[in-house]
Amino acid sequence: MFSYYFKLGVRSLRRNPALTALMVLTLAVGVAASVSTLTILHIMSSNPIPQKSERLFAPVIDNGPLEGYNPADPDNRNSSNEQMSYIDTMNLLKNGYGERRTALYGIGAPIEPPRKDMGVISAQGIATTRDFFAMFDVPFLYGQAWSEAEDKAGADVAVLSSAMAEKLFGAANPVGQRVRIAQQDYQIVGVLNNYRPRPKFFRLVGGPGAFGQEEEVMLPLSTAIRHETPHNGSMSCSSNREAGWQGLLRSECTWLQFFFETKSASERGQLQSWLNNYADDQRKLGRLKRNAPNRLYDVMEWLEYRKVVGNDSRLAAWLAFGFLALCLVNTIGLLLAKFSVRASEVGIRRALGASRAEIFQQFLTETAVVGLAGGLLGLLLAFGALAIIGMQSKEMQVVAHMDLPMLALTFVLALLAAVLAGLIPTWRACKITPAIQLKSQ
Amino acid sequence: MLRMTNLSKVYRTHMIETHALRGFEIQVNKGEFVTVTGPSGSGKTSFLNIAGLLEEFTDGDYILDGVNVKGMDDNARSRLRNEKLGFIFQGFNLIPDLSLFDNVDVPLRYRGFNAKERKERIEDALAKVGLASRMKHYPAELSGGQQQRVAIARALAGSPKLLLADEPTGNLDTQMARGVMELLEEINAQGTTILMVTHDPELATRSQRNVHIIDGQVSDLVRKGPSLVDTRSHSA
Repeated sequence: MFSYYFKLGVRSLRRNPALTALMVLTLAVGVAASVSTLTILHIMSSNPIPQKSERLFAPVIDNGPLEGYNPADPDNRNSSNEQMSYIDTMNLLKNGYGERRTALYGIGAPIEPPRKDMGVISAQGIATTRDFFAMFDVPFLYGQAWSEAEDKAGADVAVLSSAMAEKLFGAANPVGQRVRIAQQDYQIVGVLNNYRPRPKFFRLVGGPGAFGQEEEVMLPLSTAIRHETPHNGSMSCSSNREAGWQGLLRSECTWLQFFFETKSASERGQLQSWLNNYADDQRKLGRLKRNAPNRLYDVMEWLEYRKVVGNDSRLAAWLAFGFLALCLVNTIGLLLAKFSVRASEVGIRRALGASRAEIFQQFLTETAVVGLAGGLLGLLLAFGALAIIGMQSKEMQVVAHMDLPMLALTFVLALLAAVLAGLIPTWRACKITPAIQLKSQ
Repeated sequence: MLRMTNLSKVYRTHMIETHALRGFEIQVNKGEFVTVTGPSGSGKTSFLNIAGLLEEFTDGDYILDGVNVKGMDDNARSRLRNEKLGFIFQGFNLIPDLSLFDNVDVPLRYRGFNAKERKERIEDALAKVGLASRMKHYPAELSGGQQQRVAIARALAGSPKLLLADEPTGNLDTQMARGVMELLEEINAQGTTILMVTHDPELATRSQRNVHIIDGQVSDLVRKGPSLVDTRSHSA
């Protein structure tokens, strides 16, 4: 019977074209508004590395001064705590717990292209360790990560993004070629294959943000330190430090980001114990004066803690759903009007053997057809809305695009909305007394 | 075919109780053509609606083709209505945006016949009423008489045991009315029981039996023709 009801539903779309168009448009606008904001929320709050997000941990060790510290404050957030000092970074890299560990800092790297007719290119990137690529499942188009030996030795090797490689060398494989970055010659060992995790969870602090541009160049951390490649991003220093690069490395300034990878999520407790022991050892050495709790955040907790999804985005989603509710109320009214003129048909069908349940199914299927039409139009409107939102900024451009789950959600939402709106009118339709309608014909 | 015993129907509003039928007794045998007459408000329509399972009755018993319908739920009543009854209305009651084919198809869909059987039944029924060539047409393209023929085809397509007709010629001119009446007689002659409400005394005389209803009760039952055997009177 469903195909029969569906056919009747499609036919009924043509019955009152103006009323139908109004219903479809009302639903479509409500669905488009909701889906647009939900899409942004979905991208913002999506898991950028679902296969291992529960095994990757960002540690927070509070090395701030005692002055101004209030241990009773439960929300003891201090941006200086969310990055790590070079001292802690090196200690954790050398002796840390876990399957893998990596650290990174942002660099601004002017690149001199091999073609002299091209000017110097200002590139953004990171200095990191070899394990970064394996920990974050970074895909390569050409070549691979630098070797462990190169990592330790601080070799002059680099990995480029595919866009940067194409800009510098065209479509050819540039692995083995040399390129001058920040006034040093580097050999290219790998080219990334469009690595754009959203949100960019490994650079939530002090960088271009969760939805900033992709890393165009990557250098070994040891190499960048050796060449004193300047740090590009925020840095927090709680006390005066010695001048110069070595002064920075010896200071308690926090400017690096660190991640652990464990074999399983259940090792979190052991990692926490290890981190606490490390902090205790450092306190014995006269550091970490605050005696603050050492915290670990897995990837999703880290995104939450860093408030990647802002309150304004959540508010926008709630407002959009409120608007959808308003559209639904309007649709209910329109459906009531549409079905009230069908009372005689209900009477006829009941007389010919349709039960109330069958009338209910028929009319609900008809509203679902309206929902499908609303979903189709809503999808078009949502694409338009997202395109307009994407024009607002580069960050919005990253988040304002529809993926397959959101595409499916548009139809589910439209169908659900239509069926929900259709419940009362359909219920009323199936309660019609056939005898009265048949006599009044 | 149909037996109602001590049946009553009361419509209640906040202030008023209206007894549409009371102590209503009737039996219609298989193959009969019974007309129902009576003044306006006498209870003819309530009787027909209850007979057609379109309304529930307040008290009494109603046996339809051996099935006691008292206390049946909506699904069972709808199934029974679909399988055993056919309806013909004064206003034809065709669905305007369905073709003749699709109109006749409606009760067959609820019966659950497969596409092949539905097609055969629709074509047979429309052929029987002389409209086989117009099955793709829409009701608005037909005259009143033709529309009523489609309604008859729709009622016949499911091979009902009992055909309920509510003033089937009320909206037709004399010639068309005669044609419809002849068709009903032909259907009755082929074995279908017919119960027809009419205001037309001439049509009432053409049936085998006339039931006259006054104030919600059967006033008299008259069997006519060669099988005239009984005349009963009921006091209020």
